[in-house]
Amino acid sequence: MSNPQDTRTGKAPVLAPGHTFATVTDKISAIVLSRRTTLGWVVGFGVGLLLTMLLLAAVSYLLVKGVGIWGIDIPVAWGFAIVNFVWWIGIGHAGTLISAILLLLNQPWRNSINRFAEAMTLFAVMCAGMFPLLHLGRPWLFYWLFPYPNTMQVWPQFRSPLVWDVFAVSTYFTVSFLFWFVGLIPDLGTLRDRAHSRLARGAYGFLAMGWRGSARHWKNYESAYLLLAGLATPLVVSVHTVVSFDFAISIVPGWHTTIFPPYFVAGAIYSGFAMVLVIAIPIRKFYSLGDMITMRHLENCAKIMLVTGLIVAYGYLMEHFMAWYRSDEFDAFMVHNRMHGPYAPLYWALIVTNILVPQALWSRRVRQNVGALFGVSIIVLIGMWLERFIIVVTSLHRDFLTSSWGMYYPTKWDWFTFVGTIGFFAMAMYLFIRFLPMISIFEMRTLLPEAEVEAEAK
Amino acid sequence: MKRPPIFGLMAEFESPTELLLASRKAYAEGYRRLDAYSPFPIEEVGEAIGHHHSRVPLVVLVGGLLGGIGGYLMQYWISALNYPINVGGRPLNSWPAFIVVTFEMTILGGALFAVFGMLALNRLPMPYHPVFNVERFAFASKDRFFLCIQANDPRFDRAQTEKFLQSLNPKQVSEVPH
Amino acid sequence: MSYAPVTLPYPAPPALARIQRRSLVIGVVFLAGAVIAAIVEHSPAQFFRSYLLGYVWWVGITLGCLAVLMMQHLAGGLWGFVIRRPLEAAARILPLLAVMFVPLIFGIPYIYLWDHRELVLHDAKLQHQAQYLAAPWFIARGALYFLAWILMAYLLNRWSAAQDASGDPVLRRRMQTFSGPGLVIYALTVTFASFDWLMSLDPQWGSTVYPLILIAGQMLAALSFCAAILFLLAQHKPMSDIVQEKHVHSLGKMMLAFVMLWAYTSYSQLVIIWAGNLPGEISWYLRRLNTGWKYVALALVVFHFAVPFALLLSRDLKRNARRLARVAMLLVLVRYLDLLFWIAPNSLPGFEHGMPFHWMDIAVPAGIGGIWMAAFVWALRQRPLVPLHDQRFEEVVGHAPETA
Repeated sequence: MSNPQDTRTGKAPVLAPGHTFATVTDKISAIVLSRRTTLGWVVGFGVGLLLTMLLLAAVSYLLVKGVGIWGIDIPVAWGFAIVNFVWWIGIGHAGTLISAILLLLNQPWRNSINRFAEAMTLFAVMCAGMFPLLHLGRPWLFYWLFPYPNTMQVWPQFRSPLVWDVFAVSTYFTVSFLFWFVGLIPDLGTLRDRAHSRLARGAYGFLAMGWRGSARHWKNYESAYLLLAGLATPLVVSVHTVVSFDFAISIVPGWHTTIFPPYFVAGAIYSGFAMVLVIAIPIRKFYSLGDMITMRHLENCAKIMLVTGLIVAYGYLMEHFMAWYRSDEFDAFMVHNRMHGPYAPLYWALIVTNILVPQALWSRRVRQNVGALFGVSIIVLIGMWLERFIIVVTSLHRDFLTSSWGMYYPTKWDWFTFVGTIGFFAMAMYLFIRFLPMISIFEMRTLLPEAEVEAEAK
Repeated sequence: MKRPPIFGLMAEFESPTELLLASRKAYAEGYRRLDAYSPFPIEEVGEAIGHHHSRVPLVVLVGGLLGGIGGYLMQYWISALNYPINVGGRPLNSWPAFIVVTFEMTILGGALFAVFGMLALNRLPMPYHPVFNVERFAFASKDRFFLCIQANDPRFDRAQTEKFLQSLNPKQVSEVPH
Repeated sequence: MSYAPVTLPYPAPPALARIQRRSLVIGVVFLAGAVIAAIVEHSPAQFFRSYLLGYVWWVGITLGCLAVLMMQHLAGGLWGFVIRRPLEAAARILPLLAVMFVPLIFGIPYIYLWDHRELVLHDAKLQHQAQYLAAPWFIARGALYFLAWILMAYLLNRWSAAQDASGDPVLRRRMQTFSGPGLVIYALTVTFASFDWLMSLDPQWGSTVYPLILIAGQMLAALSFCAAILFLLAQHKPMSDIVQEKHVHSLGKMMLAFVMLWAYTSYSQLVIIWAGNLPGEISWYLRRLNTGWKYVALALVVFHFAVPFALLLSRDLKRNARRLARVAMLLVLVRYLDLLFWIAPNSLPGFEHGMPFHWMDIAVPAGIGGIWMAAFVWALRQRPLVPLHDQRFEEVVGHAPETA
C-alpha cells in the first residue's frame, strides 16, 4: 500500500494529496447516494438482522418468564447483564473522546473518523442501556427510576450510585445524540443538494432543516459545536466514573477501591479505541477509503490504546499492592481467589489478553501492520469483557460468609442476549454506513490546502 | 415598507479567498443586509460582514447554570425536605453524593441550550428560503462560495448593485427571486 | 559539551543572576534559622515534619518537570519548545534533591509511626507493614527512585546538549523513544515513593488513587512553575522575541486540564471513602474534616479548584502571559497547601487534635525553596535558553539558530 509521508513531520498525512472540495464531497456522498448496495453489505446486514431477531426472541422470553432464565442468583445477582452493560458503554466512550477531546486539542486527524465513531457511541449506548433495564425484573416500570411526582409519594434515593447511573447514562445518550446530529446538519444539506431521487431529497432536506451554510449560520454553529465538545469531554469521563461508582461506592472487596474511577475511564477508552479499529479497518478496505482514513489514524488509535492499556495495568497493580500492603483479610482473599479460585483460568486469560498481548503496540512495526492491529484490537475487546466479568463475578461469588458462597454460570439465554446485542450493533452500523455520510464532509473540506484563506487577504 | 420585487442578487465565487475579499468590499461599500455562503466555516468571512460575536456561549452558560442549580435544589428538596430518609447515618443533605447528579444536570442543561439555542439563533428549521431558488446555489454545499446582497438593504439598487457585484470578478451574478 | 558563558547563544538575562543570589540567601537564612530553633527549642519532630512538607513540595515540582519534559518529547507541540530548557534545568538539579533526602532519613523516628517498635508490637498488620517500610528498606527504595530519576534526567540532558552541539536528527528520535518508557518509570517510582514518604504517615490507611492525585499535582505544579518562569524570561531578550501568545495559551490549557484532573481524583477518593464509611479508611477524612483542618479543605476546594478553574476557562486570560503567570503562582503555592493538608494532620500522637500549625511549616519549605530556586536558576544559566537544533526551532523563532 502506498503511504506517502508528510515531508516536514515525517508522518503519514491525515488526507492523501490530490483531493479537492469536489472530490471529497463526491467520494463520501456517493457511498450513500449513488453506489449500488453491495453483496457484502447485504450479507453483513443480514447476519446482523438475524442476530437482532435472536435478541428479540431472548428478550421476549425474558419478559414472559422473568430474569430467572438467566444464570443470576444469590450471591451473584449481577452476572452478564452488568458485565455487558459496562462493556458496551465503555466501547461507546471512544466515539465521544475522538469527537470532543480531539476537537478541543485541535487534532485534525479526528475529522475522518469522528462521524462513525460517534455513531458507534450511540449504538453502543443503546446496547448498554438495554441490560440494566432488562435486569430490573419488571422493565416496564423503568420510569420509576426518574424523579417525578407520583401517587406512591416516594422519590429516588440520591445517595445511591444506581440513581446517578440513570442520570449519567441518559444525559450521555442525549448529549451524544445531539452532538452527532449537530455534526451531521451541514452534511445533510450537502446530501439534500446532491440527491437525485425525490424521496432522498425530501428526507435529507427535512433533516437538514433548511441549512444554508451562511456566515451567520457557521458562526453560531461553530460556537455551539465547540461548546458541546467542551461539555461532552467532562461528561464522558463522568459517565464511566459513575459506572465505576456503581461498584466502588459499595464495600464489596475488589469493588471498593479509590483507583476505580480513573481506571474504569481508561479501560473504557481502551476498549473503545479497539472497537474503532475493528470497524475502521474493514471500512477503509471495502470502501477504499485508505486516502481518508490513513495509517496515521490507525497508528494514533494504537498509541492511545497502548497508553490507556498501561493505565489499566497500573490499576491491577495498585489493587494487588494495596491488598498486600494493608493486609486486609477480605482484600487479600479477593486477590488470592482471583488468581487461584474457580475463575482463575479466566483471570489469567484476562492478564494475557488485556495486559500482555497489547504490549506488542510498543513496536512501530506492529502499529503499522493493519492485520496485526485488527488482531490486537479483537483481543483487547475480549480482554476488556473478561475484566468486567472478573470484577463482577469473582467479587460476588465469595460473599463475606462461607455459607453464602456460590458459583455463577451463564445460561444460553445470557449468551443469546449478549450475542444479540452484538448483532444489533452491527446491523445499526450497516444502516448508518448506507444512509448517512460516514465521514464528515464539511470537516474534510477544511483539511484541504485550498480551504486556507490566502495570506494577503488576512 | 414595500416588499421589494426580488429577494436580492447573488454572486458566485470559486475560492474562500475571493469570497472573503468580496465580503469585505461589500461591507466597506456600505451594504449591511448581506450574507456569505460557504461549504465549510471560514472564520474571517463572518467577521468581514459584521458578525463578530456569537450569542451561543451566553445561552450555554445560562443553560448550564439552570441545570446545575436546579439539579442540586431538586435533590435537596427531595432528600432533605420532602422525603427525608436516614441512609446509614449520612446527613440528609449529603452533598458529596449530590455532586454527581448536579454535574450531569449542568451538562444536560448546557448541551440542550447549546443545540436549541444555536438552532433558534440561526432561525432553523426554516422550510423555505429564497436563496434555494438559484439553481447554482446547490453548489454552496459542495465547492462554491456565494455572496448575496439582499434587496431590502437601503443601499440596494438593482442596476448599481449588479454592477458592483460584477466588479468583484465573480463567476456569475444571478437574481434571487422570492 | 560545556559552554563558556561569554559565547553562549541565546543566554539567560543578567536579571537571573540577581534572583539566584537572593534565593540562595533566603534559603540559607530560613533553613539555618529553623535548624537553630529546632535545636534550641528541642523540637526535632516539628522540624522534620516541616522538612518533609517542604521537601515533597519542591521534589514534586522537579519530578513534574521531568515528566512534562518527557511528555513534550513524546507529543511535540510548540509549547514544549519554549519551556524545554527550564524543564531540563529543573531535572538537572535532581542530584541536589537526592542529597537533601538525607535529613529525612534522620527524621524517620520522629515522623513515622511504623518506626516505633512499641506501637507496632501489638498489631499484626502493622508488623507486616513495618517490615516493608522498615528504615533500611525505606532508604534502599529511596536510593532506587533517585537512581532512576537522576539517570533519566542525565540522559535527556546529555542528549539535549549533544543536540545543541551537532543537531543530529537521531538524537531527537532517541529522546522521543526514551520518553515513553521513561514516563512509565516516572509513574511507578512516584507511586511507590508516595506510599513510602506520605501515605505511610498513617500506616493503616491506604487509598489506591492517592499516587495519581500526587502525580496530577506534580504535573500541575511543574506546568504552572514553567508558565511563571516563562513570563519572567519573556521580559528580557532573547525570550521576549520568541515567546508568543499561542505558547502561553497551550500552557494555560494544560494547566486547566491538570486542575480538573486533580479535582477529579481528589473528589473520587473522597466520595468513595465517604460512602463506604469503613473505619480503616474514613479516619483519614475524620481527622481532616471534623477538625480545624476543614477550613484548609475548603480553601483547597476554592483555590486549588474553583478559582483557577473559572479563571483558566477564559481564553483571554490564557493568552495573557502576565495574568496566566499570576494564576500559575497561585497554583504553585496551593500545591503547598494540599501537601500540608496531607501531611500535618497525620503526625505523631499529640498532633491529632486541633489544628497544629507551626511557623516552621512555612520557614522550612521556604528555605528549601530558596536553595532549590538558586540551583535551578544556576542550571538554567548554563545553557542557551532555547534548544538550538530542536525540530520546532524555525517554526517558532522564524529563522535558523544563530550560533555565536
